[in-house]
Amino acid sequence: MKDSAHRALSFGRISALTANTLTELTRLKVFYVLLLFALLLIGSSAFMARLSFQQEFQVLKDISLGAMSIFTSLLAIVATARMLPQDLEDRTIYTILAKPVARFEYLVGKLAGVLLLLLISTLLMALLFAAVLFAREYAALAEVTRQMSSAPSEQLHDAVQAVRNATFNPDLLPGISIIYLKACLLASLTLFISTFATTNIFTIVVTVFVYFIGHIQGTAREFWLQQNGGTALSRIFLGVVALVFPDLQLFDFADDVVAGASIPFTLFANAAGLGCFYTVLYLLLSTAVFSGREL
Amino acid sequence: MSEPAVAVTGLTKVFPVPLQRRSIVAVRDLNLRVDAGQVYGLLGPNGSGKSTTLKIILGLVSPTRGKTEIFGHDSSRVASRESVGFLPESPYFYKYLTAAETLRFYGKLCGMRGERLSARIDELLELVRLTEARNRRLRGFSKGMLQRIGLAQALAHEPQLVILDEPTAGVDPAGSREIRDLILDLKQRGITVLLSSHLLEQVQEVCDRVGILANGVLVREGTMTELLAVQNQTEVVLEGARPELLTQIAALATNAGARVIDQRTPQTTLEQLFLEATERSGDASR
Ligand SMILES: Nc1ncnc2c1ncn2[C@@H]1O[C@H](COP(=O)(O)OP(=O)(O)O)[C@@H](O)[C@H]1O
Ligand SMILES: [Mg+2]
Repeated sequence: MKDSAHRALSFGRISALTANTLTELTRLKVFYVLLLFALLLIGSSAFMARLSFQQEFQVLKDISLGAMSIFTSLLAIVATARMLPQDLEDRTIYTILAKPVARFEYLVGKLAGVLLLLLISTLLMALLFAAVLFAREYAALAEVTRQMSSAPSEQLHDAVQAVRNATFNPDLLPGISIIYLKACLLASLTLFISTFATTNIFTIVVTVFVYFIGHIQGTAREFWLQQNGGTALSRIFLGVVALVFPDLQLFDFADDVVAGASIPFTLFANAAGLGCFYTVLYLLLSTAVFSGREL
Repeated sequence: MSEPAVAVTGLTKVFPVPLQRRSIVAVRDLNLRVDAGQVYGLLGPNGSGKSTTLKIILGLVSPTRGKTEIFGHDSSRVASRESVGFLPESPYFYKYLTAAETLRFYGKLCGMRGERLSARIDELLELVRLTEARNRRLRGFSKGMLQRIGLAQALAHEPQLVILDEPTAGVDPAGSREIRDLILDLKQRGITVLLSSHLLEQVQEVCDRVGILANGVLVREGTMTELLAVQNQTEVVLEGARPELLTQIAALATNAGARVIDQRTPQTTLEQLFLEATERSGDASR
């Protein structure tokens, strides 16, 4: 009898669950989403041949970041929603939890699998995006050099610089990290809802609902405060709403990035912190509900 | 007396029925004790509370009242599951994993890894005769094979107690024979087995002790011999006895104050017949 040998939290057990979840998700062919992303990029760059290069890069970034945000969010919700119900329905969960696996470990392992999948997808999309961006930059530079072959070298230099500025923008990186963190938050939220949902459809509908509330709540709060003033009661109410529904508007600075504006560090740190906070919060809430659940 | 492998005290489980006033009492005031090294059979018709009892012992379902322990550790504690292996009723595993990958996954959940885990996987596959199928995905496994991989999974970390819910249900006679042989093998090695079944004759030969549940109540409990012995009767099986001998025996019995109440030709069981017939045609090896 291995008496006191049991560790409350084991990396080995969690990583086994994580690896298994990742395997399961990749075999579900979720990566077709990435194929869709690639087609979108290639298709849109064909259509953009008629634009000036500034416009072209603008549109390319706009489409890419927008699509990345939508695809990672969708992937997060769809991949997570069926995870727990499937294990319950197939009763695979009996075999897992009959091992010395705590319910918290089970949830952490599963969620980590999804987050890893999201990370891989985000990186692949970013890579694809970068590849298309650099290919277009190369083409644009060739074009500029050809058109301005007779112009003075200073002018040529300026023109080349203009192309470079239009393509690469250092704020793309924080922009992409925030897209990833938002997807993590949504995955964790979906997991939480699936711990008490009775059907997958319910989980998805509720998650999408929270998603929209999260997007309008910032505006709604300002409006409310204007109307009702800042009484203590309304502040508490708004605080509770803000805690349950994350302010997802804070994650939407893709537009600024596209416009070439730089993201203030505090804004980035704020959104990143919020993303991590809610991911952990929903995970803890999931554990609280799931621990009391009959299997 | 040594610590029991499983101790159930005053266990009651009530399932509320959603949207209705009434509720289902799945288990009622159950007391049970399985000593280390025993093979204990929990019998009863469908819906009598067998699975519920086993799930509570494993901490998968929480009791309404009472408590359960595994080797003295409360079932609600994760650590109590260090020394138990479980095969659920008609189990499903991840269909996209191969037999070896499945055992690797469960082995890791038990805290095993590296060389030791790899060696154990080979051993387990050999034990349940799935070595040939080690790299096949479970998607294509028959019911009997799934049950065997389930058993292997339950034995991954060499637990001292194995809990099997309906291990032979839905498996063909050859597969069922194999599973019972494995259980007898576990018993030989001193491992405690707690199993549930509604297939009585199958349980009869492997169990030391049985409890019979009906509507969540334990109605009978005891060792096989205690429960099945017909009081006051003795069976004599003879070979090559001529009719005169039988008449003489009957006379002797009457003289001694006893009585011959039945006289018949012993029959082989249908199972034995089935196994012999299919064995010969080579089907049983699958
Ligand atoms: N999760 C549950 N919710 C409601 N009722 C349940 C649940 N699990 C089992 N029951 C009920 O409890 C009773 C016992 O079931 P079970 O333990 O599965 O019986 P057995 O394994 O002996 O066939 C049945 O009436 C069943 O309908
Ligand atoms: Mg049952």
